[in-house]
Amino acid sequence: MATKPLAGQKKHKSTWSTIVAQYELILMSVPLLLYKILFSYVPVVGWTMAFQNYKPAIRSFWKQEWVGFDNFVKLFTGINGERFLRDVRNTLGQSFLTLLLGYIGSISLALLLNEVRNIKFKRIVQNITYMPHFLSWIIVAGLVSTMLAVPTSGGIINDVLIRLGLIDNSIMFLADPKYFWWIVAFSNLWKEMGWNTIIYLAAITAIDPTLYEASVIDGANRYQKMWHITLPGIKPTIMVLLIMNVGHILEAGFEIQYFLGNGLVVESSEIIDIFVLRYGIQMGNYSLATVAGMFKTVISIILISVANFISGRLGEEKLI
Amino acid sequence: MKKLISLLLVMLLVFTMAACQPATKQPTTPAQGSSNDAGTGGSQQKTGLPVLSPDNPVTISVWTTTNHSAPASDNKLTKLLKERLGVTINYEIIPTDNADQKIGVMLAGGEYPDLIGTTDLNIRFITGGALIPLDDYLTEDKADLLFEHVRPYWNRLATDAGDGVRRIYVLPNYNRYYGEITGGTHYGASGFWIQKHVLEDAGYPNIDNITLEEYFQLIENYVKKYPTIDGMPTIGFELLCSPGREWVLTNPPQYLAGAPNNGGVIVDENNVATIFADKDIAKRYYKILNQMHAKGLIDPESFTQTNDQYLAKLATGRVLGMYDQRWAFGQANDALVAEGKDERTWVSTMPVYEGKTPYYADREVMNINQGYGVSVSCKQPDVVISFLNTMMTEEWQKIFNWGIEGEDYFVDANGRYYRTPEQREEQKDLVWRSKNRLEALYDNMPKRQGTYSDGNADGPGNQPEEFYDTLREYDKNFLKAYGKKTWRDFLNQPPENPVYYPCWNINLVDGSEAQMANRQLTDLSIQYLPKIIMADPGEFETLWAQYVSEIKKINVKAYEDAINEGIQERIKNWGGGR
Repeated sequence: MATKPLAGQKKHKSTWSTIVAQYELILMSVPLLLYKILFSYVPVVGWTMAFQNYKPAIRSFWKQEWVGFDNFVKLFTGINGERFLRDVRNTLGQSFLTLLLGYIGSISLALLLNEVRNIKFKRIVQNITYMPHFLSWIIVAGLVSTMLAVPTSGGIINDVLIRLGLIDNSIMFLADPKYFWWIVAFSNLWKEMGWNTIIYLAAITAIDPTLYEASVIDGANRYQKMWHITLPGIKPTIMVLLIMNVGHILEAGFEIQYFLGNGLVVESSEIIDIFVLRYGIQMGNYSLATVAGMFKTVISIILISVANFISGRLGEEKLI
Repeated sequence: MKKLISLLLVMLLVFTMAACQPATKQPTTPAQGSSNDAGTGGSQQKTGLPVLSPDNPVTISVWTTTNHSAPASDNKLTKLLKERLGVTINYEIIPTDNADQKIGVMLAGGEYPDLIGTTDLNIRFITGGALIPLDDYLTEDKADLLFEHVRPYWNRLATDAGDGVRRIYVLPNYNRYYGEITGGTHYGASGFWIQKHVLEDAGYPNIDNITLEEYFQLIENYVKKYPTIDGMPTIGFELLCSPGREWVLTNPPQYLAGAPNNGGVIVDENNVATIFADKDIAKRYYKILNQMHAKGLIDPESFTQTNDQYLAKLATGRVLGMYDQRWAFGQANDALVAEGKDERTWVSTMPVYEGKTPYYADREVMNINQGYGVSVSCKQPDVVISFLNTMMTEEWQKIFNWGIEGEDYFVDANGRYYRTPEQREEQKDLVWRSKNRLEALYDNMPKRQGTYSDGNADGPGNQPEEFYDTLREYDKNFLKAYGKKTWRDFLNQPPENPVYYPCWNINLVDGSEAQMANRQLTDLSIQYLPKIIMADPGEFETLWAQYVSEIKKINVKAYEDAINEGIQERIKNWGGGR
């Protein structure tokens, strides 16, 4: 900083006096700070495993054999490299589709629910749509796999399609890689749509009703009100949620890919977390798993910073 | 500001150190011979181990991978253990397909229950430093019965945990025989299973020298004649490739080529192992499957189902055939028997390529690195070992296998054990079993297989007269039609096993090139083989060529070298006992 020493001293002093003045507040934040340090920063020490040939029988981090960047080479090159990059692609693809469908689904549902005037009906719809949120993913995976099976195994979707005359033979949804991303995205939509609507509905109630009254006087119809008042009204909420979700884009879930994935669809079903499980934890290759985990963290931090920056540039809410 | 930052940094440092210190202080090698310092389990008996008694209640936590479910809370034998020995067992039961990652997580955590039992993967616990060596307990004057159990096979069971010393860490769970081997069912047997009704309907054809083509012909004829069973479509042949069960898909070519089960390799007469996944014997098998799929004989859901869904499907009785090992689909078999659908259960056939002799059944191999080991977290290893030793007495072995005399079985005038028809029916009821038997605990325990000192067989299923009397009318007639006495008679007469046999339990070190290659081979097979089988027959050749060229990219040599090293090591070290 190119400030004069005097000014610097002054600033220093004022910082110190602020600290003294707010010492109670600072003291109160210490436990949470410690909590964060203990559970979010201290474990980062474990990243040293990425540079070691980690053996659990030797319990200490410092007595392990150091191997430099060997594990990085193992992960990013050769057959493993192809597999890992494919898994990164799957993770991004599935996340992106899930995010897109999730946004479109829950925002449109929120807009529609907002227009419903019959409160009872609105409540019922809301309840029905958010109930699946409370099901565990393992149950959802079971439901999805049954619904997508052949009719004799309870595959209702094939049954309906055949009865409607749209297809002649059952489609093996879980045996064809091209369907898998969509299965993940639609399962997420089915499970989380209603739940995600709640936050938008809350944001909508915060919109000043006089805006609607004014627009009615100007002759706006319902669709125009939605487009010109409701949507811009919840835009900050949408942006904040978007930034937060971008940070999680490398977490495309786990259970559904794990339970529905199989050899036939592995090229589009396997995601980073499953790779880590299969090639890291299951094989006792903790170092490789750590490298993959580091990669995920670094990419996530970059993505969230970029999204935050772009959002700020567009004159919208910034998260950080 | 700077002060604050440096303060924070110092705090961070302090915390980091604090968090790491306990880890460095943990013992890197388990204490050995801890019987001296851990004599808290009660008075010493003459075996040098604490005596278990209800006055000194102990709780033992058990982690075990098994297909059996946990016993009911009011289990009869649980009560008996408590009343007679004061032992309470806390179970953690892991289904086999979840074992891999559970073990990985436990090893990373470094905290274990007292007893760890697995069917396949104990080597990871041993090399991961989770188990204590049992050598000091396995002596004449301590755990005498356990010592007797391992004594003749000491060198075979002893494992090097990475420190260069071979010690015993795990007590073998199956196939350590005492006395004469009897028994009607060989649970380790592999085969191309075929539903009994298919054979009955075809007039009990001779299945001794069946070819794969004839096997599928039988199935095809039956499917044409009976398109549905109990209102559901008949399934000709079922396959499976869910995690941990990939071998259902990958193992058969070696049997067809007349070789025994060595996992992913065939071993030649010079004891050299090579993989067969890319060889012609494999190509021929998958080509036949491809053709059968085109005919609609193979369940299209084969490759998308989990092991549970597979078993559930078998249990409906509409599956005519599959390749599997007897123990692996036991539940489905039990369920069908419980429903009285004996004609829907299966017998094994052993198809081979021309000029080959079937080697589907092997001599029962004693399991290595399967069974219970005592963990380093166990506070009273001598108590736990005393418990295992007590369980090895004939008295308790009979309780586990036969039950309680007068309740679950009777003894006739000649001292032979038998069950009444009602008692036999009870045993077929899965709910009754969860209340009256401890199968989940017993599955991985050391056992007295063979015959007891009084001449009775280890369990009712192996008591010849009891085996036959337990069968329903349908099975008796079926056996009579084939002129055989037991299910075992449907298998080949196994020759003496080679010393190194079997290769599938040769340990591949965690994190090694060989282990990586093995995983890559497996992953490649579950990705390609289903595609190859389900492809249009015209595309078979192209896909197969693709599969083979992908295999070439893998470091197969590292895998083969590790297996060959294992074979040589076994040939060198496995003779003799103590």
